[in-house]
Amino acid sequence: MTKDVRARFTLNGDSVTWTGEARRSLVDAIRDDLGLKGTHLGCEQGECGACTVLVDSVPVRACLMLAVQADGQDVVTIEGLASLAEGDESPQDNNGLHPAQAALLRHRGIQCGFCTPGMAMALAGVAELSCAAPEQDVAGFLSGQLCRCTGYAGILSAGAELAETAGLGGIEQEAMPDAGGDGGESERFVRGRGRYVSDIVLGAMAHAAILRSSHAHARIRRIDLSAAEALAGVHCVLDGRVLAGMVAPFSHMIPGEAAKPLQWWPLAVDAVRFVGEPVVVAVAISREIAEDALDAVKIEYEDLPAVFDAKSALRADAPLLFPEWSTNEMLHMSWSTPSLDRALKESPRRLRRSFESHRITAAPLEGHGTLADFDRLEGRLTVWASAQQPHQLRSVLAEVCGLAETAVRVVAPDIGGGFGNKQHFTREQALVAALAIHLGGPVRWIEDRKESLTSSIHARAQAHDVDVGYDLEGRVLAIRARIVVDLGNPMLYFSGVGPALVAGGSLTGGYAIPQAGVELSCVATNTCPVGAYRGFGQPEAHHVTEQVMNLVADELGMDPADVRRRNLLPDRPRPWIAPSGALIDTGALHGQLELLLEEAGYVRLRKCQEEARKAGRLVGIGLSSLVEGTAPTQHDVAGRFGSWESAKVSVLPDGSVSVVVGTKCQGQSHRSSFAKLAAEALGVQRSRVRVTEGDTDQLPYGMGTWGSRSTVMGGGAVLRAAREVAATMAKLAAEMGGNPSFDQVAAEAWWHTNRLARGTDPGLTSTVTYTPGQTLPPGGSSEKWSNHDETYASHMTAVVVEVHPTTGKVDVLEAVVVSDCGQMIDPEVVKGQLQGGFAQGLGAVLLEEVLYDSQGRPAWEGFSGYSIPQAGDVPQIRVVFRSTPSETEGGFRGVGEAGTIFTPAAMVGAVNDALAPFGIWVDSTRLHPRHLRPLLRKGLQR
Amino acid sequence: MQVPASFDYERAASVDHALSLLRRHGPEARLIAGGHSLIPMMKLRLAQPEVLIDINDLSDLSYIRIADNRLCIGAMTRHADLLASPLVAEHYPMLVEAEEVIADPIVRNRGSVGGSLCQADPSEDLSAAFAALGASFVVAGEAGRREVQGEDFHLGPYTTAVEADEMLVEVRIPLRPSMGSAYEKLERRAGDWAVAAAAAAIRLEDGVIAEAGIGLSAVNAAHFRSPQAERRLVGNPADQATLAEAASLAGADCNPSADQRGPVDYKRHLVSELTLRALVRAAASANRRI
Repeated sequence: MTKDVRARFTLNGDSVTWTGEARRSLVDAIRDDLGLKGTHLGCEQGECGACTVLVDSVPVRACLMLAVQADGQDVVTIEGLASLAEGDESPQDNNGLHPAQAALLRHRGIQCGFCTPGMAMALAGVAELSCAAPEQDVAGFLSGQLCRCTGYAGILSAGAELAETAGLGGIEQEAMPDAGGDGGESERFVRGRGRYVSDIVLGAMAHAAILRSSHAHARIRRIDLSAAEALAGVHCVLDGRVLAGMVAPFSHMIPGEAAKPLQWWPLAVDAVRFVGEPVVVAVAISREIAEDALDAVKIEYEDLPAVFDAKSALRADAPLLFPEWSTNEMLHMSWSTPSLDRALKESPRRLRRSFESHRITAAPLEGHGTLADFDRLEGRLTVWASAQQPHQLRSVLAEVCGLAETAVRVVAPDIGGGFGNKQHFTREQALVAALAIHLGGPVRWIEDRKESLTSSIHARAQAHDVDVGYDLEGRVLAIRARIVVDLGNPMLYFSGVGPALVAGGSLTGGYAIPQAGVELSCVATNTCPVGAYRGFGQPEAHHVTEQVMNLVADELGMDPADVRRRNLLPDRPRPWIAPSGALIDTGALHGQLELLLEEAGYVRLRKCQEEARKAGRLVGIGLSSLVEGTAPTQHDVAGRFGSWESAKVSVLPDGSVSVVVGTKCQGQSHRSSFAKLAAEALGVQRSRVRVTEGDTDQLPYGMGTWGSRSTVMGGGAVLRAAREVAATMAKLAAEMGGNPSFDQVAAEAWWHTNRLARGTDPGLTSTVTYTPGQTLPPGGSSEKWSNHDETYASHMTAVVVEVHPTTGKVDVLEAVVVSDCGQMIDPEVVKGQLQGGFAQGLGAVLLEEVLYDSQGRPAWEGFSGYSIPQAGDVPQIRVVFRSTPSETEGGFRGVGEAGTIFTPAAMVGAVNDALAPFGIWVDSTRLHPRHLRPLLRKGLQR
Repeated sequence: MQVPASFDYERAASVDHALSLLRRHGPEARLIAGGHSLIPMMKLRLAQPEVLIDINDLSDLSYIRIADNRLCIGAMTRHADLLASPLVAEHYPMLVEAEEVIADPIVRNRGSVGGSLCQADPSEDLSAAFAALGASFVVAGEAGRREVQGEDFHLGPYTTAVEADEMLVEVRIPLRPSMGSAYEKLERRAGDWAVAAAAAAIRLEDGVIAEAGIGLSAVNAAHFRSPQAERRLVGNPADQATLAEAASLAGADCNPSADQRGPVDYKRHLVSELTLRALVRAAASANRRI
């Protein structure tokens, strides 16, 4: 037994005495022992910067410093940052914020808020430093501060402003934007007052830790829990068999006969199928002891042959994950337009090619996390989870735990980035719920970074073999794709099947390709489950469609812009019925493409490219014409994802307005956006509206946030509900006579119903369920092509890159997008989404790749290996708007996923455009230097 | 798993105290300086020391000074201090260049020079830089201090000549005012470990290279050096042909392994390319310093 240690230090100006184990990190002491939750944990390995604090005025990583090492030092956290500035300028100037906090707010360098406190602490350092070195490179200074949402544009301009103005007597003030009656959603974050799952404290909370398989495929021969159970402070240590007796199994919810049956439980039962699969859980009075218990668990595995990629898994002699299937192919489907074969055969030219979208992962800066409590007297389970779809999670947990939906409440607090990764209903969520029921008290589990990267959810991992027919004018006449999807271990609700279906349905994109068909093969492998990530099948399809356009141009010696002109959907009719049956309702695409070419200076760019080539530089231009399905529905093919949203708007007696929506924000400014809609519909100040999301007790059902749907669906629902209440108020006002004020009507309706006309419904509250309801083609059947999206946004993109021949490195020289996402609530929010998606798209092609070794062990376990973009890696994409309102309520079109869809396609196009003269053509989304350089070497030798 | 296994904590007040604590607790004790290498490994339970001896109070080991015609760097010097040191910038700008690409500014605030060297990660930057400059290392133990030459300090990946009951206290580099030096690194992103890195140091006499050091990192070069490239340089003029040949020799004089940062050929190619870039700049600098 080791002895406790003590540290005395000042924390935000107060003297504190801390006592605890020597192994406790400073950040754990600050958060859990001293109760300041503003400092966050993103990786616990010193690689993300979320835990940055000042120690004796120097910014340090609080996760790599022991609490005991703070003895005698002065520690400042985000909660104390503002008062640090009090000495040199009046804090009122900045609304009680440190200049770094104020600058982040003003420049909109904040989305989900999880990285924000660490970013503000580091930026405070920029201000300090710049006095000595005003030329300090802000991006370099922030290189250790990761942000997964914003694409850094706002953060860098905040930093630049701080660097420029520090020492010049402070920053000139602009008014803070009116962000709604919640005190401003971003201001909470910049003050360190966001509240994420790991910030919630319930009394006597037990901590769960999960032991995961170190084998890719093995039988579990023996599990010895005795030493672990014997440790002091351990509540229980359970294996998969025990858990299987406590809950009902999950199933994949893919209806019909096509998919092989599959059930699974929270922990592996008898066999493991990927490195990282949960095997044993330990619950203890602290996380430390729970991890000590896992250290004492002994498991005997008997290795089985394993397979790590989809194509190998399809071979007849491949090891089988589920021998009862007699194959690894979980799902095989195909569909096509009637004349596809003939159209291909009769096409003047053919193109056969294989494309690949490599495996990546969303890597939100906050990992998954679940806290569950069970009230035995009430028989009620309450679950706090970092979850994008709280209501559906309620349905799943109720099923798995054998409870009525009324006996389950799910609360999704602030979410530190989701990106689809938190759309799934996970084994761990069910595990924690089952443990809370088992122990009759609160249990929490917070995913660590290694778990997040290696055992939560991967994405993409699709290979497309296409056969294309086209004519000599560059018109694509027919396309057939055989799509092989690596599902990993498919023990994941809707798994990679969902994105696969969307990829198949989106193959023709914004192009008028008359004949199309898809053969889909979804394959189980001994790797981490594959599922959702921002774009959900569309990036994979769009990559293929755009490369086809580029190849056709190359084959025919045409300009890629001309090939797009030939193939873009005609401006009429709308809706355009795609081969998939999708009703595409975009604005006119031809004018949008021409606007892009003009904005990008396309003719000039081509001339510059020619000059650069003469000078030996490898410069390329990539184009993308994206038609993005937003606010989608799935028509029975992937479980319970309805195409509607619910909202409840209430005007309370004092005239303040409560809005409850079934969507769930992860950094997309839902509060301020929905508040604005309700305020305008009701004719009140936005500051009087408070928006609530993520609590299933506040609304009967909701669909959550995914598929670029929230503004379209949630916004539509809020508008409808607010207009209903406004209509009621108008009626009451007319009855009252004398032109009463909003507040008078509100009070009258709730408190003086006796004064209202007989039969008048006094309640100023309305709950609506809104669906645009136009998803099926006339006479169309729901199963043919599945994914008919509600409304389509369009984005025309150009990127210019330079490839460095000696290193294989790709630099983005310019990027511009002309975006039509219909009516916008706040164009700055839309720009933020585009920039953030652009950053993730760049990360996908230039930095990120999930890799396994020959034993199926993940090559990366942290951010030092799985590199997501840093501040210096992301240039700003120039955004030009062109708005064609949709016919949905409010005229909105979704935008959240656009950047991750168009960026990889445009980047691959640009790199190919640069390298084509050397006979190099990349067919995958891998533009990493280690992949490009060997191609370059061969190409340059030729 | 992100919590270290339990350990006892001791805080050393002096070098002698640290050494006596090391002796008292035996081989399961580890020194902790900045902790930026050790703590991550402990959190993953890849390292499970029973006792940590904290040497952060040994501020007398945090210095950069000239003594006996040598640049002396105390083991507890933080990376940020090495980066900001005018003395270092004046004599060996290569060290500043190497520091600029080590992790990020906030890690450099706490990470220490001695800690990095003793961790002896095969991709560590300063090891290559010091190898090119012919640094020696002062190690303190019960019997007093001994000076270990560069070649003898790094015994292999994660292994140095510092024994379990010893500690590194100082790095020494002979002063050569006319020596030019440069550091070149290719990383996937800012602050990442190198895919490959090259350090070059050159001193000219009468237009001929009188002394040369080539350090390589992340490519499994013995003692972080390329003796073949060095031999090719010494005694020859610093012309393009010589530098290019030496750079090409450096690409062959290492044993990179294929990993997620790149295949072997790519890394050898990078070594040659980066060595050439470093040599060209080091030679230019040496010319200015004559």
